[in-house]
Amino acid sequence: MSKAIDFLINEWKSYSRNIQITIYVLLGFTALFAIFGIQILFWGLGYTNMNNIFNMGLWILGDLGYVALGGGAFFTGFMLYIFRVDKLQPLINSTVLIGFMCYLFTFVLLVFEIGQPLRAWFGYTYPNWGSGLLPTSMLTEVIWCLTFYFMVLIIELFPIILSHKVLDRIPALHYIAHYLHKLMWIMAAVGTFLSFFHQGSLGGGMWDIMYAKAAWFRPNHLYFFVAIVAATAGGTCLMMVIPKIAQWVQKKELIPKDSFMKLAQISGAMFIFYFLIRVFDIYTQWTTALPLFDRSFTDIMSGSMYGWWVLVLEFAFTISAVVILNMKKFRENDRIFTAGIISGVMAIIMMKFRVIMHGYSVPNFPWKPYMTYGPSIQEWALMLGSLAIMVLIYMWFAKYIPMFIQDEEHSDVQHSQ
Amino acid sequence: MAEMKRRWGMAIDLDKCTGCGTCQIACSQSNNMPIFQDDSDIAKRVTFLDVMQVTNDNDENAEYPDVKVAYLPKMCQQCEGNDPENPSPPCVSVCPVVATDVGDDGVVSQIWSRCIGCRYCQASCPYEARVFNWWKPEYEGTFKESMNPDRSVASRGTVVKCTFCDHIWKKERDKAIANGVTDINAVTYTPACVSACPTGAMVFGDLNDPDSEVTRLSKSDRALRLLHPIDKLRETDPELYKKRIAMKNYPNPKVYYLTSQKWLKEMIGGYKHSS
Repeated sequence: MSKAIDFLINEWKSYSRNIQITIYVLLGFTALFAIFGIQILFWGLGYTNMNNIFNMGLWILGDLGYVALGGGAFFTGFMLYIFRVDKLQPLINSTVLIGFMCYLFTFVLLVFEIGQPLRAWFGYTYPNWGSGLLPTSMLTEVIWCLTFYFMVLIIELFPIILSHKVLDRIPALHYIAHYLHKLMWIMAAVGTFLSFFHQGSLGGGMWDIMYAKAAWFRPNHLYFFVAIVAATAGGTCLMMVIPKIAQWVQKKELIPKDSFMKLAQISGAMFIFYFLIRVFDIYTQWTTALPLFDRSFTDIMSGSMYGWWVLVLEFAFTISAVVILNMKKFRENDRIFTAGIISGVMAIIMMKFRVIMHGYSVPNFPWKPYMTYGPSIQEWALMLGSLAIMVLIYMWFAKYIPMFIQDEEHSDVQHSQ
Repeated sequence: MAEMKRRWGMAIDLDKCTGCGTCQIACSQSNNMPIFQDDSDIAKRVTFLDVMQVTNDNDENAEYPDVKVAYLPKMCQQCEGNDPENPSPPCVSVCPVVATDVGDDGVVSQIWSRCIGCRYCQASCPYEARVFNWWKPEYEGTFKESMNPDRSVASRGTVVKCTFCDHIWKKERDKAIANGVTDINAVTYTPACVSACPTGAMVFGDLNDPDSEVTRLSKSDRALRLLHPIDKLRETDPELYKKRIAMKNYPNPKVYYLTSQKWLKEMIGGYKHSS
């Protein structure tokens, strides 16, 4: 026991002062997450600033953001294992971990989000499937698809955890990890299949099927597909931003530049597609969807606190990502490249911000004002706490699990022996 | 039992409504609405029927003495979508756990104990008719003694809504069966809000019965449905009407509002009238 304590103390002392301070801050947010999480679970959602009109808020924004950006995991895996873009290999472990954490915390936030967490399992036992194969409720589809894809991510994460030096010494675990690596293309294919559905349903379909709500409804259900493309474009950017931060913290190259450039090219191409489909989506909302409600685009935008500026910012970030990620001279400049991938992530966050905040702010009745919403301390604590826990988990993996290229090569050598 | 032929609906004459709020009190009492210490927090208040104040004073052209005010009792509008034979209210298909459904009498039900509180139905309702129990329902002092044993109390964290007082209908049905009447269509009832209205502004009945008062009122020139401008198109531009209903479902509520006041018709009819 004392050896273990000595080991932990020595480990702690081996960290730099900055890392120690960072860990203190992150643990502080984690403590707030625990305290306010208990309050919400035991005493209810009355402590949030959501209400009967703005009935979803920061947490659903977090869910949408986590799933869309975590979607980079399925797309990177798809490009690596199905299209055999081998240059992405050094990024894959980090990508799987980020995807796993994003989906894990989507579930965690959903548990806080629903009013009856103890009935969460009703989604599996009383699903709204209707009579056919396709579910009637988009949320039923989200619950099932998210669950299956989360299982895929657990299987994908398993060999990464098993590559820890202590576990890797156990022959049985070593061979399990080895063969799981070999089967990973199946997981990538299944993950891609599942992700296409839930990315579309949670990010887009859930909103665009609400036929009585002017700010959300799209008769062509194009927003479903916008959400899928958004996840492939923005998600891949997040998969570059996080290792980039890890490199900056560790002050060494963890991922070869070639890998970043390859994923940036893929992300850039997806951003062109995303930009085009998003422009078409806004155009059809303006010309087709809103006239069906006898409302106009300017009517739903002008009075809202989350109106034009959000749309302008979303497109500013999108265009920045399109330009930077697709032009070689910008892509190869490290600072501009970093700005490009951050823009890519921000473009998707702004898209999600718009669908939630603007959608809820638009009044249903002509004699009512546009709504505004500011999260309560409980909502902030759970949102920031979830991010803090994710950072702590990533730091732990980066320190103790061979996640990056050098270690990967070492592991490959071992596997081939 | 015979097949249900009823299609319950309501007509509310806004020109007769004084905004006294008796309907809201009767509704709250009959449906065991909780009373919180701070019910001035209207956005979190739990009430099935809300007497809304409608005014034109946010209209730029409305200045003294042209400012007008009316009161609009608003409850679940019992939408049925484009096809009454196969009703699809905006809130029903979205529920992930089948906690809400449309009965064969057209009433949109909600099972309190099935609801997981995701609030997706609430988001999809264009009439803000669904409310969420943000806090644990509380009944202080003597309020507990006046609770209605026919209506179950929903737990904290569930969505609740007006069901046209289906507990009263069930009670009337049980009474009829006890008296040997087994034809379900012979059972009639009146929701609490309609019974309580002191000016007779609210009328409830069967929209499938051509001789009922509610059917007669629903066909009046003074009748219109809340935020439903597509209704006007049916007469003014039938081609565009057909095109639009082919493109999307419309709520098609079963609650009709009656008024002779032009400004009020324009205000509650929708954002901008189809022409």
